[in-house]
Amino acid sequence: MEAQSGDSTVASGNRKCSAVTGSARKIKDNAADWHNLIIRWEKLNDEGFSVASRVVNHRLNHVQGEQQMLVDDPPPPRMDGAPAQRRQLEAECSKLLEVVDKMAAIISKMERLLASQKGLLDLEEFQFGPEGRKVPLFHSWMTPQFVEVSHQLFDAYSQELRLKQTILQELAHTVTSDLCMVYLSCWLYQPYIHHQMRLTLEALLLETGHRLL
Amino acid sequence: MCAKPAALTSLQQVLRKSFQSLEKNQKVWNSVLAECSPLMVSLGNVAEQLRALSNVQLSNTPLSVFPDLQERLHFKLIQAADTVLEKLNEKMSSLQSVRDSISNQVSRAFQLYEQNTDSLDLLTCTQRSSTSPSVADMLEWLQDAERHYRQQFLRRKTLLQTLRADNLSLLESASKRWESLESPSEEENITDVLFKVSFFMESQ
Repeated sequence: MEAQSGDSTVASGNRKCSAVTGSARKIKDNAADWHNLIIRWEKLNDEGFSVASRVVNHRLNHVQGEQQMLVDDPPPPRMDGAPAQRRQLEAECSKLLEVVDKMAAIISKMERLLASQKGLLDLEEFQFGPEGRKVPLFHSWMTPQFVEVSHQLFDAYSQELRLKQTILQELAHTVTSDLCMVYLSCWLYQPYIHHQMRLTLEALLLETGHRLL
Repeated sequence: MCAKPAALTSLQQVLRKSFQSLEKNQKVWNSVLAECSPLMVSLGNVAEQLRALSNVQLSNTPLSVFPDLQERLHFKLIQAADTVLEKLNEKMSSLQSVRDSISNQVSRAFQLYEQNTDSLDLLTCTQRSSTSPSVADMLEWLQDAERHYRQQFLRRKTLLQTLRADNLSLLESASKRWESLESPSEEENITDVLFKVSFFMESQ
């Protein structure tokens, strides 16, 4: 059933993507989902950077305070500020944990998108044999390409999540300001999300008709 | 009570135009410079991050498990620096327009003066009234202003041209060196001049 409806919307030359059904519909929806998930990720990234910066500030102030206490002789009376400072630091760390948890949830959704893509490819191979469809569903991409793109995006963002989880664990315990700054840079600049990824996403949106050619 | 020579009238008109142009361009110059400040701050931030990265041996940290992290982060930071430098270059184009506009206007005034030195004797040129500074003074002020903007542009452009995203020490010192190029006394002089010629600009 699905094969017929999927194929009936595909004509050579001018394809009307607005009339997609079946596999094409699913792939188009997946593309929109990828786009939305990535936008949400970027927002969380910005939010997380603000929080992480505050964690570093608290941390470095605390470290400086401790070092000052070691230097001073006799040491000054314990400031009332210290427990309040610790509570603030803990609060910021909790916020950062929340951000990372939300990002992990996004990765889970990305994993489901990838699985869905693979499922559609399997279905196609079942219907059309190992060579798959002869004619592209949209403009020019064959179905394995959608899987490949999903893989690239998923791999990049998963790696980025692992990096952020490490930063989350280490940030509040790091003593040297240089390393703190490197953690912050890693968070902000997302070394594993190459510029190429954005182009890949754009290409996906173009192919599936979300962006006009 | 002799009639004003035609040459003097035309020269005064051109001078008026020159000061109007100077007034407008001063505002443009200052606003473009103000836009450069946050860009220089960004450049400094990126430089700080590059320095921190070069000071850290990632293999001795929990980040050692991440493949190619040093290179990837370095690349992103260099890219960020390049982006800022590009934006600064765009600002330089705006400053260049200001410089060119002032230079052109001032040279027109001087050209007109030189063409008419026969009818513009020393007395005429040094005569001033309550509403009008002397032609000599006005020409001098315009010349000073033109030189100021010309030099400022040259110094700032030269500074930016030395900056490379991968030359860390130059990036780190860029903000300070940029600020040191400021010349508040010259800027004040120009504002003073515009004040002095305000009556003159209003009169016909």
